[in-house]
Amino acid sequence: MIRLTAGGAWPRTRTAASDGLLAALWQHRQGRAGLLLMLALVLLAVLGPALLPHDPNLPNYAKTLAAPSAEHWLGTDATGRDQLARLADGAHRSLGGAALVMALVFGVGLIVGVVAAVAGGLLDIVLMRIVDVMMALPGLIFAFAVLGLLGPGYLNLLFALAVADWAYYARLARATALDAAARPHVEAARMMGRAPWQVLIAHILPAVAWQLAVLATLGMGGMIAAISAFSFLGLGVQVPHAEWGAMLADSRFYFTIAPWLLIAPAALIFAAVLASNQLGEALRDITTPEGRS
Amino acid sequence: MQAGLSVVGASLLVWAMMPLAPGDPVNMILAARRIEEPTLEQIAALRAQLGTDLPLWQQYLVWLRGVLTGDFGFSWRTGQPVMAEIAARLPATLRLVGTGLAISVVWSLALALVAARWVGRWPDRLVLAYTRMMAALPSFVLALLVMQFVVVGMGLGRVLSGGAGMTLVIAAMVIGIDRAAGWTQLLRAGLLAQMAQGHADVARARGASEGRILTRQALPGAALPFLTAVGISIGGLIGGSPVIEVIFTWPGLGEHVLMALSVRDVPVIQAFVLLAVLAYVGASLLIDLAALWLDPRLRGQGAQT
Repeated sequence: MIRLTAGGAWPRTRTAASDGLLAALWQHRQGRAGLLLMLALVLLAVLGPALLPHDPNLPNYAKTLAAPSAEHWLGTDATGRDQLARLADGAHRSLGGAALVMALVFGVGLIVGVVAAVAGGLLDIVLMRIVDVMMALPGLIFAFAVLGLLGPGYLNLLFALAVADWAYYARLARATALDAAARPHVEAARMMGRAPWQVLIAHILPAVAWQLAVLATLGMGGMIAAISAFSFLGLGVQVPHAEWGAMLADSRFYFTIAPWLLIAPAALIFAAVLASNQLGEALRDITTPEGRS
Repeated sequence: MQAGLSVVGASLLVWAMMPLAPGDPVNMILAARRIEEPTLEQIAALRAQLGTDLPLWQQYLVWLRGVLTGDFGFSWRTGQPVMAEIAARLPATLRLVGTGLAISVVWSLALALVAARWVGRWPDRLVLAYTRMMAALPSFVLALLVMQFVVVGMGLGRVLSGGAGMTLVIAAMVIGIDRAAGWTQLLRAGLLAQMAQGHADVARARGASEGRILTRQALPGAALPFLTAVGISIGGLIGGSPVIEVIFTWPGLGEHVLMALSVRDVPVIQAFVLLAVLAYVGASLLIDLAALWLDPRLRGQGAQT
């Protein structure tokens, strides 16, 4: 349990990495690569639908499985839809969906973990037992269960993935909060008479948020992979909507005549996971310099 | 104790799928079997079979008693006993996952030893670059590419496998190579940490070669965290196998679980989830035992408490 009371005033301290995070990432070799790659993918998602002339969901049966050309840069799929437009549209669901799930587990993990740490006692015990049970359901297994309960669908999938993942964040948030509360400068802030909520906001929450942000960035790649894997199996994004994994499923049977249809979404999934992993590792190095490998 | 509590909690969560499933299970069963206009007798018979009239806690106990004796009820979709359907397909899945696990352990061991032996030099850089690439390639994407380029393109194995030998090797290699990426990084870091410790310096002072220190001194010390990571991932391996099985048309649980998921066949999903939990908890216990065998210090602690 965290003690948040004592007396006096103390200037607000800053966490080491809170100044110039982008600059720090830019200085880091992996961080820069991840940043550039992620930026390119986000640009594809944001600008693609506005700039590309083709409707991602409009079939054109006169022009199915067309090879890459000046009009269709990455060719057309089995129903004549523009592959590049679908990749750009699909980026929202693959990348944006993963970001949404990460934001969700970040928020839930932060609240549950910090509440458990601050409250202590019975509430702490109950919350952590629930976390233990969730962590005994390995990996994505619990996502299967939730998806089985709700049935296939994109929003159901995002919800299922968030439910399967939050416990790890809650556990880390609680541990970080307890650790931060025991640090000398927080002790000092307490003794100087900062109000409990001030100590919480100025010292505990930033530390917890940093740790969770690192974990979320490291977990982002796995989340992108999970969303596309479930959609590949037909359990996530439903027709006619585009998503990279679902596009892999659509194109796999045309590989011998139109291999580019399979390679482009596979390359984008690879690039997105790679960018997330690089960013995550860079962030981890920046926040814990001694853990560098 | 901790593990036991988790299993009870997990069983409660898994059981809760049944009453939590939106809609009347009777309707869902009828829908799953594509019976559109059921007779009243059919509905009454289903209700009696499900026991949904009992209070919830009794339903849980009835369910738990069944599960403990290996009875997961009947599939909503097919009407067959869940356990019989799973038992028919489980050996193929275990064969695939087991082979994949073995390949993965051997492959990551080899890569990590090479990287740690020549740390900072080109073999190490190559291994690190390789593991970063592989860590970014999701297993199902790797499986698809291998399916298209190796199986279809080079004619190795068969597209419709039916569990044939060559497909087992190829599919297991996909699982093994995919898992090995993270484990190689973990084991390499563990080996390097061990090599920097005092006992390695003592061995160095006594004239042992770096290679010998690596395998005799560092490896046993670094093995435990590595094995723990391997053990933890077993549940995830079973959870991840459906997508690989579907791509390689492997006759395991994959297709069955997918069908169950797409029509919300709750008893089958419950059985699959509990299976993965049991594999996970079982593997954790085995790892704990392996830890006692690997690390003599833990034995002393066990004797004191």
